[in-house]
Amino acid sequence: MTDQNRKLIDSRGSSCPGPITDLAIAYRNSKIGDEIELWATDPGVKADIQAWASKTGNLVESITEDKDRITIMIKIIKR
Amino acid sequence: MSRKSVVIIGGGAGGTILANSLRKNAFDITVIDKSDKHYFQPQFLYIAFKGSKENMVRNERSLLKKHVKLVKESVSAVDLVNGIVKTVDGEYRYDYLVIATGITSNASLISGLAEINEKFGDYHTNVEQSKKVWKNLNGFNGGTIAIGQSYPLCKCPPSPLEGAFLTEEFINLKGLKGKTKIIFFTPYPRAYPAEKVNDEVEPLLKARGIEVRTFFDVDRIDAAGNTIYSIEGDSIKYDLPIIIPPCKGVSGIRYEPQSILNTDNLIKVDKYTCRVEGFDNAFAIGDAAAIPTSKSGVDAHLEAKVVAKILNKGDAKFDGRTHCPFDVGYGKGTFVIGSYDEPVIRYPITHINLFMKHVMAKIYWGSLKGTYDDIFDIYFKETNPAKLKKKYGK
Repeated sequence: MTDQNRKLIDSRGSSCPGPITDLAIAYRNSKIGDEIELWATDPGVKADIQAWASKTGNLVESITEDKDRITIMIKIIKR
Repeated sequence: MSRKSVVIIGGGAGGTILANSLRKNAFDITVIDKSDKHYFQPQFLYIAFKGSKENMVRNERSLLKKHVKLVKESVSAVDLVNGIVKTVDGEYRYDYLVIATGITSNASLISGLAEINEKFGDYHTNVEQSKKVWKNLNGFNGGTIAIGQSYPLCKCPPSPLEGAFLTEEFINLKGLKGKTKIIFFTPYPRAYPAEKVNDEVEPLLKARGIEVRTFFDVDRIDAAGNTIYSIEGDSIKYDLPIIIPPCKGVSGIRYEPQSILNTDNLIKVDKYTCRVEGFDNAFAIGDAAAIPTSKSGVDAHLEAKVVAKILNKGDAKFDGRTHCPFDVGYGKGTFVIGSYDEPVIRYPITHINLFMKHVMAKIYWGSLKGTYDDIFDIYFKETNPAKLKKKYGK
């Protein structure tokens, strides 16, 4: 894993239109093998990202929650 | 204290409100804009779907207070390291800089879109494009209308759905409902991205027979085959396309350092102070700023007020507040209300809320000069999302 295929998206505080906007833009600019780390605070993000991954055929590697943020790791395996 | 110079690039809602809100005796204020015309952009929706002929343009000079200097020039470069804004004709040194350049539509970013955009228009770019939508709707005699945004970043998040609702209203009142299918496509997981608002509008979409295609992020358009293809692998065949082009931060300005721009050409800022990353004396507000709220006039207004307070008094914080009016057709509307700390709340769809939208449009020009600041302060306090949540439930 190099920095070139790893991208951090900080969507904390975003609920409208929300983190999915940032993820969709990152997906457009991504290539297979890229890893996206998404930070968010809106709890709705968990179900949305799972639905997005299942629709696009990409992989949600992990979802972790702590006091300040929800961290979601996504691997781009389909474009 | 010696007077400080403030250069504001862009005379839209944010730039104009900020210029008019700074203390006259403390600042020399210059607004630079390539155009001296100021458009009330939300009116594009009503030109496109209602054939509105209402005047929605004013001379920018008439909207700025007398002590604010207006320069009609194109900015070519901004050197944040040395505090210089360069135009084609000269250069301006500043103590404080505010970037309020907005975002612009660019149909050429999606393969095949430029061709149909030229023919069918859209309701986000300008008056001429909006008039094309109105003309095409009036010439429509049945078939499939595909309406939606072609890129995840979009001005005014409610506006794609507002267009769908007003299309259905138009088609229904014209008696073409039986011969028409309306498909609304969106890159989001549901018709409206914020769940609580979606809960309110989804039943309406169903009741009005508007088909919704979610996770439909436009990849390309086959103009000859009348088909839109999504990145996710789906397609929609249309007879009449109403497609909002992608928008990005303004190009053509060379920034030093370039690292202040993100991949969509938006300026990276601190979301609470609107300060440009790495520069205490530079700010970006409104659509031009990469801030995790909606791209809307309300946000440009509130961010301008925060930056004005920081410059006038030294301290203020933007809470990420959104308050976007949302026309759902047949004389009813709602508002999309949230903040950094309060995800968008549930808010009812009523005639009064649409009336409020139209009232805000009517008082827009006066609000740029601060005429209604006292009322707005009370209004935003009374419609605080934490407070409304108690009233309308989770």
